[in-house]
Amino acid sequence: MSSLPVNAYLLLALVLFCIGLFGALTKKNTVIVLISIELMLNAVNINLVAFSKYGINPGITGQIFSLFTITVAAAEAAVGLAILIALYRNRSTVQIDEMNTMKH
Amino acid sequence: MDMDTLLSYEWSIMAPEFTILLVATALSLIDLFVSKNVDRKLFGWFGIAGIAIALIFSFSQIGHEPAMILANTYRLDAFSLSFKILLLTGSLLVLLMGVSFEARGELTYRGEFYYLLLTGLLGAMMMASSADLITLFVGLELLTISSYILAGTRKKSRYSNEAAMKYVINGGISTAFTLFGMSYIYGLTGSTNLADISREISNITPANVQVLLSIAFILTFVGLAFKISTVPFQMWAPDVYQGAPTPVTAFLSVVSKTAGFIIIIRVLISIFPFTQGFEENTSLLHSLMIFLSVLAGMTMIVGNTIALKQRNIKRLFAYSSIAHAGYLLVPFVAFSELMFESMWFYLVAYLLMNIGAFAIIQVMTEHSDSEDVSIFAGLYYRRPWIAIMMTVFLLSLAGIPGTAGFIGKLNIFIGALFSDPSRYILAVVMIGTTVISYFYYFGIMAQMFMRPAGSAAQVRLPVGVTITMVFCAAGTITLGLFPGLVLEFFQTQFNFAEMFY
Repeated sequence: MSSLPVNAYLLLALVLFCIGLFGALTKKNTVIVLISIELMLNAVNINLVAFSKYGINPGITGQIFSLFTITVAAAEAAVGLAILIALYRNRSTVQIDEMNTMKH
Repeated sequence: MDMDTLLSYEWSIMAPEFTILLVATALSLIDLFVSKNVDRKLFGWFGIAGIAIALIFSFSQIGHEPAMILANTYRLDAFSLSFKILLLTGSLLVLLMGVSFEARGELTYRGEFYYLLLTGLLGAMMMASSADLITLFVGLELLTISSYILAGTRKKSRYSNEAAMKYVINGGISTAFTLFGMSYIYGLTGSTNLADISREISNITPANVQVLLSIAFILTFVGLAFKISTVPFQMWAPDVYQGAPTPVTAFLSVVSKTAGFIIIIRVLISIFPFTQGFEENTSLLHSLMIFLSVLAGMTMIVGNTIALKQRNIKRLFAYSSIAHAGYLLVPFVAFSELMFESMWFYLVAYLLMNIGAFAIIQVMTEHSDSEDVSIFAGLYYRRPWIAIMMTVFLLSLAGIPGTAGFIGKLNIFIGALFSDPSRYILAVVMIGTTVISYFYYFGIMAQMFMRPAGSAAQVRLPVGVTITMVFCAAGTITLGLFPGLVLEFFQTQFNFAEMFY
């Protein structure tokens, strides 16, 4: 395992973060956008866990931090989906480009 | 960890947080078990009482030695205390507004509104006193997730749904940015404790690490810019402010924004001033100030110019609050000794004038179906006192002498000029955009004083809103005429050197 340098993990996290950001900014379906945000948050987890093993001062804190991140991300996704359901009941759509009733 | 260690902590320094936590928990349980017919407004007064008790606890802690508990993750110092008092006062006024919010059955979930506001406040208070990235992040998310739901409490309104959805998506992306930045900070220092980080970070010098650290700084700041609604994350503000119920809008524009500034100051000031910058003998914070000053300038310009063409009063105030976030970034960029003082004073002034203005907006929009600026037409001839108080708030927001807003702007301006190096361009942008802001603030005043009354509808003043309005107006004028009262209290009671470890 230790044959892989820390850079490889960081690069993977960075790529995952960018894919997530791209998806969050371009996708039309709100569910996909929420999933993309989860991708970005998981990139953070990879970073934290990689640093907690191969970082400058390795330690368990990074893994604890990633547990907190996972929990909070789950709460955020739950609230996001709940709001999406409320919106769907009123508007019968989940397309982001149709949520445009508030233009000045 | 055994019982003795737990008991040896000085738990009393967390008294304000415990009070809010207890009240919020009690309210959520009572709301669950009490019959639907019980008037939920009582909950509001219960919450107000809780915040008042927490405020008393906070005031009694003034002068307390800096103390840390919970394995150095919770810190009580002048910084956290002075800002916590601001957060509590802001929430108290917002709750007073919320108790008398009567818009035609729109707030069906009144119980939720009160205790989510309290949990949001709890998150903000934890942010103010946390000394660890993890608690900071959990506090931030407690505030953010509570605000998502608060923005969507008008479940049947399509505007409110849409506002909440946009808020969640923007908020999620910005959280990911902040966390990504924080993960690099953790990786380069191996700790999440701010004190350890600031010690470790001054030891690392290799050049390639500096690039990573700048990326971490920029990512963290960009993510946090969402909370204070500055460029590049300002786009959510107008939609969310318009769609959310008015008390929630006031909460977002004051308490949530103050919390954003708290976390920015806490993280960036405890970490980055001690880092080697790109040039000799400068800190990384100095090297990156140009980035922050561009963002501050753009925020002021964007906020003030787009506000010019707004007709919806809540959207107009959203852009105005973006502009004020820009002004508030100026002392941070200038980074003089006056920084804390001028930011704190401006936040006090902003709290008073903005909550006051939103209280009046709430009364006015409740009685007419529209949120157009024209609902203020001829207000002076219908209810002269409301019009006069609104004038006070508008003058203060515009920064006219005699009001708290003027003193706040003056402090920021002086700080920008006398910092080293002077921020002339930023000061000029600030003056220029302030002049632009006169057009839209005075536009509302022109409606009130120079237009004939549009509708003859009687404006009824509930007791909560009246208290809020009168308190804010009195505060705005008092601080405008005698700023020394608060500034002196601030200088003698709060020693900001405490915040460095």
